[in-house]
Amino acid sequence: MSFRLKLMLPLLAVFTASVGYPLLYAFYLSLTNYKITARYNTRLVGLKQYIATLQDPNYWNALQVTGTFVLLAVFIEFWLGLFIALALQKQKRIRNFTRSFLLTPMFVTPIAIGLMFRFLLNQQLGVIPTFMAKFGLSYDFFGPGKALYSIVLIDVWQWTPFMVLLLLAGLEGLSRSPFEAAKVDGASAFFTFRKITLPLLVPVISVAVLIRALDAMKVFEYVFAITRGGPAIQTMTIQYYTYQTGIQFYRLGLASAMSYLLLIIVMVIVVILFRRIESTRKNP
Amino acid sequence: MTTLNSTRLKPTWTLAGNSLLILMALSVFLPFFWLSLGSFKTGAQLNNPALLLFKPTLENWKEVLRSGVLESAYRSATVGLVTVSLSVVIGSMGAYAISRYKTGGSSTRFGILAAQVLPPAVLVFPFLEVSYKFRLNDTLFAVIISHLSFVLPVITWFLIGFFDAAPKEVEEQALVDGLSRFQAFRKVVIPQVAPGIGAAAVFGFVLSWNDLFYALILAPGNSATLPVKIASFNTFRGVELGAMCAAILVAVIPVLIVSFFIQKRLVRGISGGAVKY
Repeated sequence: MSFRLKLMLPLLAVFTASVGYPLLYAFYLSLTNYKITARYNTRLVGLKQYIATLQDPNYWNALQVTGTFVLLAVFIEFWLGLFIALALQKQKRIRNFTRSFLLTPMFVTPIAIGLMFRFLLNQQLGVIPTFMAKFGLSYDFFGPGKALYSIVLIDVWQWTPFMVLLLLAGLEGLSRSPFEAAKVDGASAFFTFRKITLPLLVPVISVAVLIRALDAMKVFEYVFAITRGGPAIQTMTIQYYTYQTGIQFYRLGLASAMSYLLLIIVMVIVVILFRRIESTRKNP
Repeated sequence: MTTLNSTRLKPTWTLAGNSLLILMALSVFLPFFWLSLGSFKTGAQLNNPALLLFKPTLENWKEVLRSGVLESAYRSATVGLVTVSLSVVIGSMGAYAISRYKTGGSSTRFGILAAQVLPPAVLVFPFLEVSYKFRLNDTLFAVIISHLSFVLPVITWFLIGFFDAAPKEVEEQALVDGLSRFQAFRKVVIPQVAPGIGAAAVFGFVLSWNDLFYALILAPGNSATLPVKIASFNTFRGVELGAMCAAILVAVIPVLIVSFFIQKRLVRGISGGAVKY
């Protein structure tokens, strides 16, 4: 056996056991009527679970809720993150401390962040609604029509630092010469930003947005900690809906079909975006 | 360090930038601060969220310690350490083979990247079903296997980047000097990328330590990890609210301390690996 194969073998084995096998097994499960409560009546039912999923209005609702959540959260995180990264780059004093401090939210377990904001934003006991009440404002953060936006807000709080991290690394990796040329030509800061910084940063931006969007699609903890999908089904994200179907309603077959459909959607998005990133790289 | 010191900024821009940073620092600090206050308040004091000065109580912290939070933190640390150790050993060997010998070509790289994109909901039900079969449900073993599914690809991905960047000459010299290829790998190549391995290991540990989804489904009971335990404090009965604050802080504090000390290196590791993708 060759040297490189010996090095690869453990990786292949563990990868097969922890990713490959479950992936195939999930596909098999999605073709059965498996229920945890009726394990011995399991049989193959073909594509029935997929058809049931596609006909389920709640599944489409979950896709829509997740889509709205991802678009809003990533949009805000990107712009806010970009401005913070720019400000950090120009900062002169206490740089390292500020950077470390601003990045802390992304290292904390999301369930703790979810519970923390549930506490801070609670209408009776939360400090933020209490202060707002002093100014005569009444706002129920987790009420109908508002809960999803509050979940977005929490995601922005926790994950903007991730954007900052990648964008800052990108900014500091840019070559100096175009900026020096711009300075010689007397270009304004805003002009330099729009015509030089942003275009040069496009590869980093696309990677950062892609990674963040794919991660945001998995949102689960905030919903689990705070709304459990409510009010009604307004914050029922795809990951939470699948969890509910599989774990609370015991329908592993159906839940597997749901997650496999999601996987297909995610893969299509990734391949399209990946190609686009590759092509901008080749002809900038 | 700064690449842009050459472009002079108008004072208004500088002021706007610094104000933004101060605002952001406050928005990071205040939630944690209020949580800490809450963890020292009695049930009655918690009914008045704006209360700043009060006689602190340690009851909440005592209750949290009694509830077994430390045991679950210990379980989380065990899961994280085992997952990361396995991933670093297996991942560094694999990453080296992929980086130096182009094993499997670009499809191996794509496979490892794609594994990080998989929705956890796809993999979790098979894990649950198999752990039922082998009577491993509610054990740390099941959690570790599931955590390997996302920690191993991330660590391997980081390490491929580090090996790609490491110079080849030293290693070739070592082979000329009579070391076997495995010795050269272990004694020459690994030390070169050690800082990178450290960053990747810490990052992988944080991912494992923070995971709720897999742990909640695979080990919800006696083997609850820290996030699962924290989730069980989710209550809005006034008396238990203080305990919830304390429990959240138990999860937050170690990560804050660790992230503060290793952040500089970590930042380099993450950004080096991710930006190049």
